[in-house]
Amino acid sequence: MLDLLDISKPFADLDAPVDLETERAITRWLHAEVRLLDAERYQEWLTRCIDPDIRYWMPDMETRRRDDPRGMFAYGEAAYFDDSWKELEIRVKRYNEPSAWADNPQTRHLHQISNIEVNATEDPTLFAVHSVFTNVRNRNEADQDIVHGRREDVLRAGPGGYRLLRRRVFIVQNVLLSKNLNTFF
Amino acid sequence: MCDTGCAGNAGRPNMAPVYPKAGRYPDYARLVDRNRAQVDRRVFVDEGVYQAELQQIFARSWLFLAHESQIPNPGDFIRTSMGEDDVIVVRQRDRTVRAFLNSCPHRGNRVCMVDAGSKARGFICNYHGWSFGIDGGLRGTDGKVYEKDETFEKAQIGLTPVAQVDSYKGLIFGTFDPNAPSLLEFFGPFTFYLDIMLDNDEGGTEFIGGAIKSEIDCNWKFPAENFVGDILHAFWTHQSGAQAILGGGVDLGKRYDELAFQASVYGHGIETNLDKVGNTRTLGYPELVDYVFDLSERARDRLGDLRSRAIGAISSCTIFPNFSFLPGQNTFRVWHPRGPGKIELVVWTLVNKNAPDHIKELYRKGVMMTFSPGGVFEMDDGENWEYSTRVNQGFVTRQQPLHYALGLQSADLDRDLPGHIHKGSLNDANQRLFYTRWAEFMEHDNWTDLQNGETAPPQKTASAAE
Amino acid sequence: MIIEICDSAAIPEGEIRRFEPEGFAPIAVARHEGRLYVFPDRCPHADESLAEGWLEDGRVVCGVHFAEFELDTGKVHNPPVGCPNLSFFRCEDRDGKVFATLTGGPEYV
Repeated sequence: MLDLLDISKPFADLDAPVDLETERAITRWLHAEVRLLDAERYQEWLTRCIDPDIRYWMPDMETRRRDDPRGMFAYGEAAYFDDSWKELEIRVKRYNEPSAWADNPQTRHLHQISNIEVNATEDPTLFAVHSVFTNVRNRNEADQDIVHGRREDVLRAGPGGYRLLRRRVFIVQNVLLSKNLNTFF
Repeated sequence: MCDTGCAGNAGRPNMAPVYPKAGRYPDYARLVDRNRAQVDRRVFVDEGVYQAELQQIFARSWLFLAHESQIPNPGDFIRTSMGEDDVIVVRQRDRTVRAFLNSCPHRGNRVCMVDAGSKARGFICNYHGWSFGIDGGLRGTDGKVYEKDETFEKAQIGLTPVAQVDSYKGLIFGTFDPNAPSLLEFFGPFTFYLDIMLDNDEGGTEFIGGAIKSEIDCNWKFPAENFVGDILHAFWTHQSGAQAILGGGVDLGKRYDELAFQASVYGHGIETNLDKVGNTRTLGYPELVDYVFDLSERARDRLGDLRSRAIGAISSCTIFPNFSFLPGQNTFRVWHPRGPGKIELVVWTLVNKNAPDHIKELYRKGVMMTFSPGGVFEMDDGENWEYSTRVNQGFVTRQQPLHYALGLQSADLDRDLPGHIHKGSLNDANQRLFYTRWAEFMEHDNWTDLQNGETAPPQKTASAAE
Repeated sequence: MIIEICDSAAIPEGEIRRFEPEGFAPIAVARHEGRLYVFPDRCPHADESLAEGWLEDGRVVCGVHFAEFELDTGKVHNPPVGCPNLSFFRCEDRDGKVFATLTGGPEYV
């Protein structure tokens, strides 16, 4: 397996920026992806954006001393998401239930994506994409949760367009300052 | 300070640990109306009640600190809370475990800023460099001044020790009360039920994968009472999660009337069915169901028929006051109070040490998928508890009683099991006893009364249970 | 002037002991892989006792701020700001006794 697809490994240096045209296409793809999430079109997100071989990981962040070799997170330890297609599909099924009370009444969602860097890889069909996000969820009258983080994506170019093959999500919180995570990142 | 001190005659500080004294709060105790099976909503929002809880309950009860497996070696430590008190739990060189308030006796700053670590040599305060060994003792300071100060008595200064630390089958607990009865006495015969999870196989248990922490804007008692005996909510609250994973609703099985029950001792409570794998099934991995079926068979010699059927069954448990777990789903959690209207929830996953690695991995993922902040079950709990708490800001709203009267006639006096037994797991019985225990802590300033009240186990022989 | 400090057997492998020879500041004697080391029993940073620390991987670890001093060179690792290297006294292990040259302070680094 390419290191690139190993969910436990960070990107090597992002030093191979793609041409402008590819960068624009992938930027558009990222914007369109979160528009589906903001509209709670989760089933469509799954079938249009996600590769069947997806690895989707969002570790829990611990606070550790700088000299602690474990670091802030470690693959195989506690995570908010450590999903293959099967797990993502279960989560989407819950959203589709009218009794998903954390989403009924409806949540107001916003994902803002920026700092997009698109890099070529040793495989011409794969792109290493770094971005940061702000996610706002607002419910009922005044319940608001804001999560910031960064993502390391691998997109695969295929006949039907780009698909998300790998995503590592790192939020900048230790104690999650929200009661739940009723969204994707 | 300088009335007597500036001339050089100052009295020296007495740095001996101070363990708070309990008081008596009969007015607060009466907020739980045992005769009417109702609870006054002020227990969820009143600041005075909350401060009394910190004094009466959290400064006296045995509180969960850590699993032995989290700190295997000398110097391994984790930081956690007892009530709102920040504490460090650290393995000593002699392999015992001690715990200390995470606060420097000089200016009070935390001496440990991280969640956990291994093989620590000690803890150095970032403020003035006061340094403490893993035994809590002051080892030294910075600046070469204290050594020259003849009145400085290093030997009597240290991090305040948690008064008692003990463990039960891998789980480490501590209490700030030097007069508290032993951990085993605090549990009473409830250990019979703890063993369903803690002693169902050779080799003991371990926590895997660290902790996930999150905040919920609710009173700590709502989640604690939910786990002590509220399977009822699962049908309505968790219909969506059950549908997503099982393709159907929550099902307590055909033999519910015959087998399901609630048990309570000293406010600790478990509600359980005996369906073998109902909880495990909701994790979504058939391999785990097979594993628990096998485990259940193997455990019959160890635990007897009844308890071996409960290992993976639809059930939930709270150790009074704020430590809960779900048998079968293997999620263990503490609801740390953070004011009357906020908690910090910390969750871990427990497995048998001798379980195969792929089974441990599936438990890790299964708990993540169900009972973590993004899990399909836990997702829908938080908002219920938040609004159950928050609405009581309404002055008139909080005058209204809350109904805890399901199953008033359900006491089971025939079944020979330890503790107060009630028929059916769909029942408010354990929650009534949880709040009765809460009221006992408010009422009494001594352990003799605390251990001999209404929640104390009825006299019968636990050994006959099997 | 060479003075006798203690019986050689009083310093087990991997241990540090404190001594207070008459007329001198307290000293620490350590044994690592059979060899003896004698040095002032005060850390160069905060005057704390090094004998209350311990030996680890060929280094003296100060038990207060966890500075580590190489036994062979005195070189400091993980120092608090301003903590210099450790110096040693000349010493020898002769006829079952430990001797050290304490006059003139620690001589070599």
